Amino acid sequence: MFHNSSHRKYWIFKCEEELDHMRHKANQKFRNKILESGKPGVSESMFLERHGEDVVFRHYERRMLDFCNAFKPVMPKSVVGTALMFFRRFYLNNSVMEYHPRIIMLTCAYLSCKVEEFNVSCTQFVGNLLQESPAGQERVLEQILEFELLLIQQLNFHLVVHNPYRPMEGLLIDLKTRYPTLENPESLRKSADDFLTQAAMTDAGLLFPPSQIALTAILNSALRAGLSIESYLTECLGLKGDKESLSKMYDAMRRMKTLLKKYELPKSEEVNAYKQKLERIHAELATSSNKRKRGYEEDGHVSKEPRITEEEWTDEDLM
Amino acid sequence: MEQYSILGRIGEGAHGIVFKAKHIETGETVALKKVALRRLEDGIPNQALREIKALQEIEDNQHVSMRGFHVRGQRSEVRGQPHTPPPPPPPLHQVVKLKDVFPHGTGFVLVFDFMLSDLSEVIRNSERPLTPAQVKGYMMMLLKGVAFLHHNNIMHRDLKPANLLISSSGHLKIADFGLARLFSDQGDRLYSHQVATRWYRAPELLYGARKYDEGVDLWAVGCIFGELLNSSPLFPGENDIEQLCCVLRVLGTPTQDSWPEIVELPDYNKITFKENPAIPLEEIVPDTSPQAVDLLYKFLVYPSKQRCSARQALLHPYFFSSPLPAHHSELPIPQRGGRPPRQRLQAPPTDFSLDLPLQKSVVDPALLQGHASCF
Repeated sequence: MFHNSSHRKYWIFKCEEELDHMRHKANQKFRNKILESGKPGVSESMFLERHGEDVVFRHYERRMLDFCNAFKPVMPKSVVGTALMFFRRFYLNNSVMEYHPRIIMLTCAYLSCKVEEFNVSCTQFVGNLLQESPAGQERVLEQILEFELLLIQQLNFHLVVHNPYRPMEGLLIDLKTRYPTLENPESLRKSADDFLTQAAMTDAGLLFPPSQIALTAILNSALRAGLSIESYLTECLGLKGDKESLSKMYDAMRRMKTLLKKYELPKSEEVNAYKQKLERIHAELATSSNKRKRGYEEDGHVSKEPRITEEEWTDEDLM
Repeated sequence: MEQYSILGRIGEGAHGIVFKAKHIETGETVALKKVALRRLEDGIPNQALREIKALQEIEDNQHVSMRGFHVRGQRSEVRGQPHTPPPPPPPLHQVVKLKDVFPHGTGFVLVFDFMLSDLSEVIRNSERPLTPAQVKGYMMMLLKGVAFLHHNNIMHRDLKPANLLISSSGHLKIADFGLARLFSDQGDRLYSHQVATRWYRAPELLYGARKYDEGVDLWAVGCIFGELLNSSPLFPGENDIEQLCCVLRVLGTPTQDSWPEIVELPDYNKITFKENPAIPLEEIVPDTSPQAVDLLYKFLVYPSKQRCSARQALLHPYFFSSPLPAHHSELPIPQRGGRPPRQRLQAPPTDFSLDLPLQKSVVDPALLQGHASCF
């Protein structure tokens, strides 16, 4: 299933450098667009550097996770995983300066609910924005719906995300049935789960297939518990005679662990500084992209009555 | 959108209009399904998302590129240019291809192969019942398609003749994935039971089952099979209760012996039926070969798990005995909208059959009046 998926074909990349390169290009694309537009008063110093973008990205990614975790009714893990993955895929080719992550993150979560068949109505969805008044929720909903199409377009209409949660269940079952050396595979679950949650906040999902992430989670969990289950790879997963695959596998695991280790939540002073910069960019530069994404002009249809002008709402209003 | 010129309207689906169009660059005729988003409170409808999801994952298997028509091999096939290497054998023809999807205005457009007609029209418009070989031909294509979907963990959930499109070459392709779901053996997710068009809805769905499997498609395959054999629907219930009655009348009232799982179904206790025995399928589809009846029996059984998988069914002796499945060129291809076929230079053979009385082949003189003048 994963084997011939769009996930594997189009959304697994070779190396970290490739991802860096894409993000750099997205950043450059936005700068060029603004500079070429010849807006007065634009200077290079206004833009966010890649580092700043990363800080903002991680900040909103975290907020999205919090939003999902607090969601009522409880969101299944796969819905959260898919939402995070959509968010990551989106900002691979787009800059946070162009599309504000505040609304993109909610759009990702909303789309993920639908794609993963977690059926909540749109009012129920925005009802989870507890700090918003009903009118405010209505406004946010309008924006979500406006960005939904842009989002699936930027995802290249590839909507199926393979999360590592199922492979992990599979591996646990396999350990129970075929690897008696390990007494209580269930004891590995807690820490492996944590690993997957952390991995979802890194580029692991853009670099490795979900089954490898799950396997790493389990081996890592065993390691932390002081259990060695490496013979599982050679005895049960058929890597015994296959030195090359085995060393590749170990290499992938090492890279994954490094990714997780590198991850840190950005400091709030740093976040605030970059967010200010971001707000300014959105207020002054990106006005064109704040306009509605959907045109109503074609087909000679009567255009919809203009919506209430979008009021500025801040993150603090959101949650 | 500029790459296409609209040729006409084909029909209207639940979520948009379907147009016939021409891809200007290649000259290929396609069907454009426009999904408009205005006035949709929930944004992009689930049905459209499901369709994209299912087709995107299949499409990868079918060696079709996404961004437009970059399938060189196919193009050269059409034009007969030998310079491009032949494409790898297409793994499957039996599922309609999503050629492209792009945003347009307030929504987006799905681009499919253009298909002339569908199986419901074939059944409705055929002047005589389909021959056993033709039925076999359709069944083989249908089962290949279903086997392919199930192999890819997709249940269609709405198989019916109207969703089985017929190409101009007579091929049958499964379409309309608005209800398709990727399925998994994960036990904790519930599905909606309000799926499938009533006549083709599996009995477990009629009893309100929320956990079900690809067996619902196999039930539908059985219904379609029966419909092909009889040229009329097998279980034409007018409402959900009557639908159950139709099924029970033929298969007999289910008991815990014949269908152990029934007691767990949500609506099992809500309705009881008078007990009646099953009617042998031979009587339901008269004048049918014993092998066909045997295969039909394998689909129309109460417990879903006992229904014959599409893969297995393809190995049934039915497909290997005389008459063999008809070649796609031997299958009828009615025009869209049930209009009579365009005038051909060569009249259809039936008009000049040796068995027809001469009068029938002679032009009615009245028709010539007004065109002919007396010298």
